[in-house]
Amino acid sequence: MTRKQKRLAVIGSGMGFLALAAALTFYALGQQTSYFYMPVDLLAQPAGAGDRIRLGGLVEKGSIVRGEGTRVRFVVTDYEHTVPVVYDRILPDLFREEQGVVVEGALGEDGVLLADTVLAKHDEAYMPKEVADSLKERGVWQEE
Amino acid sequence: MLFWVLAALLTLIASLAVMLPFLRRRGDQRAGAEHDLAVYRDQLAELEQEVGRGLISKADAAEARAEIGRRILRLSEAGKPDGGAGGERSARTIAAAAVLAVPLVSWGLYAFLGSPGTPALPLQARLTIDPSQASIDELVARAEAHLADNPQDARGWEVLAPIYARLGRYGDAAVAYRKTIALTGPSAAREAALGEALVGEAGGIVTAEAEAAFERALEIDAANPRARFFIAMARAQEGNTAEARTIWEKMAAGLPQDSPWKEVAGQAIAGLTGSEGEAPGPSEADITAAEEMTPAARQEMIEGMVAGLDARLREDPADIEAWRRLLRSYVVLGRKDEAGEALERALAAFGADSEEAETLTEYAETLGVPQGE
Amino acid sequence: MSVELGHFALVLALALALVQTFVPFVGARIGSLSLMRVGEPAAITGLALLAAAFAALMLAYVQSDFSVANVWENSHSAKPLLFKITGTWGNHEGSMLLWVLILSFFGALVAAFGRNLPPTLKANVLAVQGLIASAFLLFILLTSNPFARLQPAPIEGRDLNPILQDVGLAVHPPLLYLGYVGFSISFSFAAAALIDGRVDAAWARWVRPWTLAAWAFLTGGIAMGSYWAYYELGWGGFWFWDPVENASFMPWLAGTALLHSAIVMEKRSALKIWTVLLAILTFSLSLLGTFLVRSGVLTSVHAFATDPTRGVFILAILVFFIGGALALFAFRAAALAPGGLFHPISREGALVLNNLLLTTAAATVLVGTLYPLVLEAVTGEKISVGAPFFNLTFVPLFLPLLAAVPFGPVLSWKRGDLVGAAQRLHFAFAAAVVSAFLAFFLIDRGSALAALGIGLGLWLIFGALTDLALKAGIGKVEPAAAFSRFRGLPLSVFGTALAHAGLGLTTLGVVCVTTLETERILTMQPGQTAKIGGYALRFEGLQPFTGPNYTEDRARFILTGADSVRLGELISSKRLYTARGMPTTEAGIRTMGLSQLYVSIGDATNDGGLVVHMWWKPLVTLIWIGALVMMGGGGISLFDRRLRVGAPARRKAGPAAAGEEAA
Repeated sequence: MTRKQKRLAVIGSGMGFLALAAALTFYALGQQTSYFYMPVDLLAQPAGAGDRIRLGGLVEKGSIVRGEGTRVRFVVTDYEHTVPVVYDRILPDLFREEQGVVVEGALGEDGVLLADTVLAKHDEAYMPKEVADSLKERGVWQEE
Repeated sequence: MLFWVLAALLTLIASLAVMLPFLRRRGDQRAGAEHDLAVYRDQLAELEQEVGRGLISKADAAEARAEIGRRILRLSEAGKPDGGAGGERSARTIAAAAVLAVPLVSWGLYAFLGSPGTPALPLQARLTIDPSQASIDELVARAEAHLADNPQDARGWEVLAPIYARLGRYGDAAVAYRKTIALTGPSAAREAALGEALVGEAGGIVTAEAEAAFERALEIDAANPRARFFIAMARAQEGNTAEARTIWEKMAAGLPQDSPWKEVAGQAIAGLTGSEGEAPGPSEADITAAEEMTPAARQEMIEGMVAGLDARLREDPADIEAWRRLLRSYVVLGRKDEAGEALERALAAFGADSEEAETLTEYAETLGVPQGE
Repeated sequence: MSVELGHFALVLALALALVQTFVPFVGARIGSLSLMRVGEPAAITGLALLAAAFAALMLAYVQSDFSVANVWENSHSAKPLLFKITGTWGNHEGSMLLWVLILSFFGALVAAFGRNLPPTLKANVLAVQGLIASAFLLFILLTSNPFARLQPAPIEGRDLNPILQDVGLAVHPPLLYLGYVGFSISFSFAAAALIDGRVDAAWARWVRPWTLAAWAFLTGGIAMGSYWAYYELGWGGFWFWDPVENASFMPWLAGTALLHSAIVMEKRSALKIWTVLLAILTFSLSLLGTFLVRSGVLTSVHAFATDPTRGVFILAILVFFIGGALALFAFRAAALAPGGLFHPISREGALVLNNLLLTTAAATVLVGTLYPLVLEAVTGEKISVGAPFFNLTFVPLFLPLLAAVPFGPVLSWKRGDLVGAAQRLHFAFAAAVVSAFLAFFLIDRGSALAALGIGLGLWLIFGALTDLALKAGIGKVEPAAAFSRFRGLPLSVFGTALAHAGLGLTTLGVVCVTTLETERILTMQPGQTAKIGGYALRFEGLQPFTGPNYTEDRARFILTGADSVRLGELISSKRLYTARGMPTTEAGIRTMGLSQLYVSIGDATNDGGLVVHMWWKPLVTLIWIGALVMMGGGGISLFDRRLRVGAPARRKAGPAAAGEEAA
């Protein structure tokens, strides 16, 4: 190989590598991102049993059932539709009634969301971003 | 004043700093190529050290030496000296402008942003400020700080307790009264005041805990009007109006004419029956007077009077002034729906097209009463 | 008065920063040495003024002066003194002031110790530094002024967010900023080189130590932040691929690349253009991180749109500096002379591979962080990009890099020999493979994945040790000679080996925790015992406790070993910070060897029990120990005489000193 050919080979393999990385990124963006739903969105386009979703909304007042061992039940609402949720871990510190929450998990046959992650706001001035934006669009919630 | 002196001093230092290179004797000047040469010489020296330590093979070292040599050669070919000393005259103009810019920018911007007149208020200063200048909250904070250090100061707690109650901090007031009682022993007045704080904390309800405090007060002084009044209110809240009325009536009869409790008891009785024939209903003066009372008593009184007025107007709806008072009372109590309902009744009584109906509707509008059809 | 003096000092610092921007720049253009020199006192005085401003703000915090709005919003008179002090930078305004203070600190270092820099280069570097400082000072003064006053002053402050009331917070942001902002020096050097249209030999020599220092600080800052999240948030996770974390990780990846390409540039005069570009990109990513964290765009795109002053201001700064530098690069890069040639298989080639992998990895993190924001801004669609995305893109890029690391230092410059390098590393490779097999067969629940990961981590560590052994000639020369050669090795060789071994330690920790961790969630009654990771925990019950500004319920656990020997106790608590009425969970952590037992408590159940979440985290501490070792490697390398700032001038007898006398 001449020096020029060598150079071309190096540049070519570098480019090929970059293309591979870009393809991987696009593939991952298509596959590994989860869409965000509000309860009312599930009414419009129901997700099937077993689908992983990310659900945002407010914790419905009076819906939290604790004390069945480690299992907690509550209902996520956007004042138009509600989704019951079961969670088998420790809830975040700032999880409260009528506060914003984002829940990730799989939908069960009975329409109950089996959550593996529950995110409440990080501090008392913070509403999960997606929830805040969606609720504001609906005019259900106002920032103080 | 000191602030301005220091600010001016800072500005002076900053301006001097800008002038510094012009005040100093001009230092040495080396062209860029010489700096590069120094670096390459260093690299050569490093190389020799590495060879000495046996870190690089002889052949590698020779190649590296050759490469550094090539770089030095390239340098001397391209070597052109840096700008040199030209333009020193225009430099002085620019420097003068820069030195001038420092005070102009800083003082200009500070005049726009700063608030030199605002005094600093660190915690220590807040606690030692002249009491006549301080707000209630500041005085309370200071008393709290004092009591945190001297929790055995009974007098301090006794002074602070009613202030808490006045500020609506009933929980703190109850704690303060309890401390006072624990430190100096019980008295009828202290026990009764503790009971009232507990009533305030419970939102106007005479709780069992509060009632126990009033009973203790009455054990010490059976005539304590505050304790008697609230015992009666406890009865009234239990639905035992007859007993409540008896106590209040006895109280009103036994108290001297100028006692504030006499009037309060009278109003409470009026509230109980709700239909004291000539009872004029709460006037604005009454409501103001009620504001001087404890919130619990006030609420009870107003509710009673409003209920009485409402009942009277159902029987005799012709008094337009009474209707106005009723609407206003409901709005003050935050019961707007009932105000709307009352307005409808009034309109029905006067006839929807009457002059009275129009005045009332207008009045209701100014109060923000929701109107039906 | 001190508050207003601090405010005035801040304004004065802006005036000086403007002088520092324009005067040396003009001086370099018209060739006036005096004007070029103005940058030095301006930078040093500016640092003094900013330090005074910062001290004034800190004093206001310590004294609980609530006439300062910023203090009122973020402090409370009952807060412990340490958190009053750290609260100074625990908020937007204060942290921006710290940012500029550190920026000016670095600028002053260049001014004070850059005596043997070519004057035009130095003038241009200080001018660019001044420009960055001016932009951020203007941002602070106009949109985020920490010295805004309140009159009348409120009685009590609103307290600092409780999760920020922690020793971790005292160290994390300053370290992180020392890293973030330290890259500004490399950026200024790159911009100065582009303005001048040439890269001096001194350039790489100067850029490398600054990059190294910034990189070491950033490594420490990220590790500190990760450990803080681990124990403070009570979730037991050490990395969440959260945008805020990514914001600090991207400059780290790019900075690591820059560090390595600067070596090539210093030693071989090659990769000049690429290094300059990388220096620009690294600081651009730092600026992007500042924008993401400080503009509020992460909290809510909506909030950003409704209160745009701050966000738009930082965005403008971002666009100006990144756009400006890249435009400068586009126009002037061609003027930079290309450097030496090299064979693809060589130390340079290995470093190019390192750069390619690191920058691509940084790019995937960038895409994963910005894509949801851009998508939402454009279409309004909301998606979340989480760990699965990064596992699929970042990890496949990073694994080959880790596998290739040990080859780099054993390849020779210019043209290397891959087979020879592999032969030199055969011992390390065999040791790693044997360890992987042992891990697979001996560790309970050990999977093939865990074994591979453990093998990879050990390969990095053994590879680093082999490099040291080779350089010292162990096995080739007499032991005594090898020992003296070992002691005579340049510090940078030790630095490299330490940093690479640290990377191996972190890899080992991450692999062990993710594949071998066990967890249990259960309800425990007082007196009940639960077993985890070969230990037993007996729940003793809840006890109330009152702290200075909080109350808490403490759950006590008695820890016993496998043979029922009492090892001590663990306390996990539910805390309530009274000023904000905000609850937090304090995890109970016990370190045993390199592993940790992590317990966090949940709600009480109706029958008097308590929900308890416990983890056994094998070798978890290696994650942060590894980072500390990397930081140490960077530090040692920094003390290498050859890299030391201003080295030629200091050696009186040296050739450079001679050159100076001659001039």
